[in-house]
Amino acid sequence: MSSHYEAPIRKPLIIGDKNYHDVTVDVARPVEGRANKQWWIAFSIALAAFLWGVGCVAYTVGTGIGTWGSNKTVGWAWDITNFVWWVGIGHAGTLISAVLLLFRQKWRMAINRSAEAMTIFSVIQAAMFPVFHMGRPWLAYWVMPIPNQFGSLWVNFNSPLLWDVFAISTYLSVSLVFWWTGLLPDFAMLRDRAITPFTKRVYSILSFGWSGRAKDWQRFEEVSLVLAGLATPLVLSVHTIVSFDFATSVIPGWHTTILPPYFVAGAIFSGFAMVNTLLIIMRKLSHLEAYITIQHIELMNIVIMITGSIVGCAYITELFVAWYSGVEYEQYAFLNRATGPYWWSYLLMMTCNVVSPQVMWFKKIRTSIMASFIISLVVNIGMWFERFVIIVTSLHRDYLPSSWTMFQPTFVDAGFFIGTIGFFFVLFLLYSRSFPVIAQAEVKSIMKTSSETYKRKRDQEHGNDNHSHSENH
Amino acid sequence: MRALYKIALLVVVASVFTACFDKSAPNYQYFPNMYEPISYETYGESSAFNNGKEGQLPAEGSIPRGFTPYEYENSNEGYELAKANLESPLDSASIDLPRAKELYTIYCAICHGDKGDGKGNLVKREKFLGVPNYKDRVITEGSVFHVVTYGLNSMGSHANQLSQEERWQVAHYVLKLRSEL
Repeated sequence: MSSHYEAPIRKPLIIGDKNYHDVTVDVARPVEGRANKQWWIAFSIALAAFLWGVGCVAYTVGTGIGTWGSNKTVGWAWDITNFVWWVGIGHAGTLISAVLLLFRQKWRMAINRSAEAMTIFSVIQAAMFPVFHMGRPWLAYWVMPIPNQFGSLWVNFNSPLLWDVFAISTYLSVSLVFWWTGLLPDFAMLRDRAITPFTKRVYSILSFGWSGRAKDWQRFEEVSLVLAGLATPLVLSVHTIVSFDFATSVIPGWHTTILPPYFVAGAIFSGFAMVNTLLIIMRKLSHLEAYITIQHIELMNIVIMITGSIVGCAYITELFVAWYSGVEYEQYAFLNRATGPYWWSYLLMMTCNVVSPQVMWFKKIRTSIMASFIISLVVNIGMWFERFVIIVTSLHRDYLPSSWTMFQPTFVDAGFFIGTIGFFFVLFLLYSRSFPVIAQAEVKSIMKTSSETYKRKRDQEHGNDNHSHSENH
Repeated sequence: MRALYKIALLVVVASVFTACFDKSAPNYQYFPNMYEPISYETYGESSAFNNGKEGQLPAEGSIPRGFTPYEYENSNEGYELAKANLESPLDSASIDLPRAKELYTIYCAICHGDKGDGKGNLVKREKFLGVPNYKDRVITEGSVFHVVTYGLNSMGSHANQLSQEERWQVAHYVLKLRSEL
């Protein structure tokens, strides 16, 4: 201990008298045990929602996009709203695992696995919208620059929708590789603990023969760092590219240079809110309170508060620039958002995104699990409305008053969205029962610096009477 | 050896994918969205019409814009009248002999010969005989036009292939050939 300096002000990240074996047991417990009734109920609900969504998508593809509420003026509505929403949610996972790794944040270790799983599952949901909002999704492969028999007819690389294809597919594949690399030591742990031949076989395949030698670990660390370094610009560029779908247009309310950073901030904001929602439930149900502590929740709340404030600044900037621009179309676009027929969605967006994260300034609120949970849900509702407001209110009233109209979603719009929520939870529930939801190898690496046991030992050795870290639990 | 297996697998997969192609039938199509016409096409078939053809005859006696009905009847009297009275509407500026030559080569020379001497390719190969030399007949521009329009004896009508203006061009070219024989 004496050779290690750890500031006593830092609170422990692992609570309770946990040793390495306890971490293994705690992480493996949900995987090795049997699902309880609640899990099956939740899974059935999610599966039903998923299947309903499959039905709605099948109906859309079979009958046509006209089953949706989009019209000739508002050609993009719930489809792209949900796409951007899901992509945004995915961003927190990469942010937690990559950016926080670059910043050497130890608290990411208990949450990065689930956050990355969330990224992958939500990007899968997001990726469905660009395909199924197509009029002819069976020709979706034409977006790929594949040599062909139409005189090698290629795509135009000027469209942000094509960049979306590259961004999303790269994002999904890099996230998947990053996630899986991190899973190897944990799968190996499950493999080594497996009792039945079947689970032994499954985790043997999944762990790629990980044996945990020094050379493996050294390369593992390097790969993680390189992937984190790659994933960080990726996470910023992906949502930037998504924002280009709007920012590069000529629509008043869309054509703004602030959109790229503002969308990324919003993505982190909504993504962290989703991580918070999921982890608050998961820590309780999987009995991981010792690893996902109130401090983790508080830190996530702080990130939510910061990004929420960035988003708030962006809203104010947009309003200021609309006024300052002297462009009456731009001014009307914002007047219409605030006082037009969709004023309620603008109000919801403003309340949920600007007001709700500001309550996190109060320590009492940001360290309250119930308050965090509610606010995380509120934030995701708000961020859904942010995308809805940007997309629909800018489209339904723009240059020509003769083209002004309204947008009314149909049950198919809603069904598709509900289906993706169901699919997300189907995947997440399956994940939570078959994958090590905490990167135990990483958590074990901070055991001797950041666990409560070792911190106490260190304090005793140094005769340090600073026990401020234990006052919160 | 492993490479050999891969090649064999590739061959099998390739043959599976190409096995169903039948040269005597149209190939398989992937989502033929706008392959078949919704509208009626000129030479298409449709059960909407009694004879099943989409190309229907116009009402008798109707005159399309830009068309002048030919007023000489298809008979010996008509032929004589056309020969005597019918004159070309083309003036010297609108007679286009190079084009007329092309039309003659396409539609006439196979029987009448490039020079109009009745020694066309089909005659030379003795597919049929009895094509006269232009020099042996008394023809006028009106009679040529009449014959190209209605046909005469073994010759069929060429009104389907050649428009009125083209027939006049050909008639001028025929007279030019005759003068050179």
